Parts: sequence; C-alpha cells; structure tokens
Amino acid sequence: MRIRDKCGQQEIVGFVLIVVLVMVGMMVFLVISLGNNGEPLDSVEVSTNLDVLMRTTTECAITYEPDYDDFEDLFKSCYKEKSCSNLDRDACDYLNESLWDVMNGMMVSEAGIKDWSVDFLERDEDGEVGILRVEDWMNCTGKVNSAQRAIISGGDRLIVRMKVCMINN
Amino acid sequence: MWSVVVEKRGQMKIMQMAFMIIGVFFFFVLVGLFFLNFMIGDVQSGAYELQKRQAISSLEMIAGMNELSFDSRESMMLDEDKLMVMSGGLGDGYEDFWPVASLRVYKVYPTFSEEKKCPGIDCNYYDIYDSGQVDVVTYSSFVSICKRVKEFGHIYDKCEIGKIVAGVKIRGSEAVNED
Repeated sequence: MRIRDKCGQQEIVGFVLIVVLVMVGMMVFLVISLGNNGEPLDSVEVSTNLDVLMRTTTECAITYEPDYDDFEDLFKSCYKEKSCSNLDRDACDYLNESLWDVMNGMMVSEAGIKDWSVDFLERDEDGEVGILRVEDWMNCTGKVNSAQRAIISGGDRLIVRMKVCMINN
Repeated sequence: MWSVVVEKRGQMKIMQMAFMIIGVFFFFVLVGLFFLNFMIGDVQSGAYELQKRQAISSLEMIAGMNELSFDSRESMMLDEDKLMVMSGGLGDGYEDFWPVASLRVYKVYPTFSEEKKCPGIDCNYYDIYDSGQVDVVTYSSFVSICKRVKEFGHIYDKCEIGKIVAGVKIRGSEAVNED
C-alpha cells in the first residue's frame, strides 16, 4: 500500500515539475517576444523624413532678411531664446506653429501614418530635458517608428526626435 | 484470476501513459505553433522594412543623379531648376535613361488641394518621366526641393518639402502602392 502511495506521489511531483518547467519556459518566451513592443523602432523612412524637415527653410530671419533659418537653425535659435527679427516673434513660438503646419502637411500625404510627434530635448549628465513637443498623437495602437538627430549648440547637446504611429493593417 | 487483474492494471497504466504522451505532444505542438506565429510575424515585418529600405535606397539613387540633385554631398535634395528643365519637355531625350517606369515630384508643403503641373504659375508637381505603362507599383519618399533665390539683394538657398514618386513595372500580378 505504501509503495503504491509513493509511486503516486512521485507521478504527481513529476507532473507538477513538468508543468512548472513549461510555464517558466513560456513566461521567458513571452517576456522576450513582447519586451520590445512598447519601444519605438528606428526606421530609415522616419530618418529621411527628419532629414528633409531639418533642411526646410522657414520664414524666420534672426538677424537680417533673407538670412532665413532652416528648421535645424530654428531649433538652435529657440534654445538660445532668440527672436525672429522680420516677424517680430519669439523663435520658439514661431517654431511651435510652423513645425505643426509643416508636419501636418507632410503626414497628410502619408496614408500609412496615423499619429506623429516631434520632441525637442536637451541632453545633459542627468538625462533628457524636454524643451518643446509638437504632436498630433491620439491613441496609437499600431507600430511606432522613430528617428532622432543630435544638434550641437555651443557646448550643449540638443536632440530632435520624430515618432510616427503606423496604421494597423 | 489474479493474472487477469494484473493484466488489466497494466493495460490501464499503458493507456494512462499513452494519453499523457498524446496530451504532452499536443501541448508542445500548440506551444510550437504559438512560437512560429510570433516568428513569422517578425519575419514579415522584417521583410516589409527591408523592402521599404530598398525602395528608399533606389529613390535616393535617383534623387542623387546629376540630372536632378541640388547638392551632391546631401541625399534626397532635388534642384527645382533642374526639375523645371526635365519636366518642361527638355527631358524628352532621357527615355532610356531612367531606371523606372515613371517619375514624378510633388510639392508637399505648402499643401494644395488641386494638382497643377509644372512649369506653370502656382504649380505643385513635376512630371519628369512617364513611360505610359499602366501596371506599375509606386514607391515614394520625402525630398527637399531647393533653389537658389535672390531676395533683398542677397542670394540664398531656399528648400521646401516635396515627395518623389517612382513607378516600377509590376512583375506577375502583384499590385501594391507604397505611397
């Protein structure tokens, strides 16, 4: 009777062990496969979009006309709290408005993109500090692609990061 | 009598083991399918990204040609004056030159509601080349459209945002637009 009991107990222990091992394996697999889903992926497409955006000439001239800033210079001018002399406006205000217009114009022509955002950040030893965010970001459920560019202004390191949310197929 | 009972118990044990093996087998098959599903999803998105990369690389090559480029050191930067020349009938001798079935460049910003062919007043797209082929798949990418402008007695480079759209002849029956 005792021998039969022991056999039964061993079978139960073996079964539980198999179940536990399989569960652990599945958990590890799930963590690996789902781990990167929330993070935006670097995309060559978004990288091209960001390059084109940065080269675009704006209507803001800081010192004289026609020395207009492109968006890369306008980010620097905004960081240095300069003003557009020809428009009599703060560079950051103009950047905020014009960036939204341009990005909206670009993304309207892209059928596969649902939402977008552009972040302007300063990077220091403690991490990243947000300076400006322009976005049309509602409720993204699709894949998020991103790209970023570093701008050096004086001794400071600035980052411009573009994120786009793709429409789920 | 005793041997019949032992035989029955043995059969029961064999059946238990067989059921257990079948259960474990199906369980691992399900886990395998689940894993395969994830892997195929990864491969599909990888293939799509690769296809996109290849298309952008081809467009970059076209945009970098001397006939279109504004600055050979920068990629995806088109010269608006060259676009004007190539779309204004002067590019007729280039039929065999373009490695694509069609080539168009649109101005994206400022936005427009109605397409107006260039050259012309307030025009917004350049028809560089069209072979007339119907079954084409199109690939597109944003580009900078730049020109040298004189304003207030000074010369500067003005860049706007455009989109280069290239049509490639379809092989077989695939028909996807990558706009």
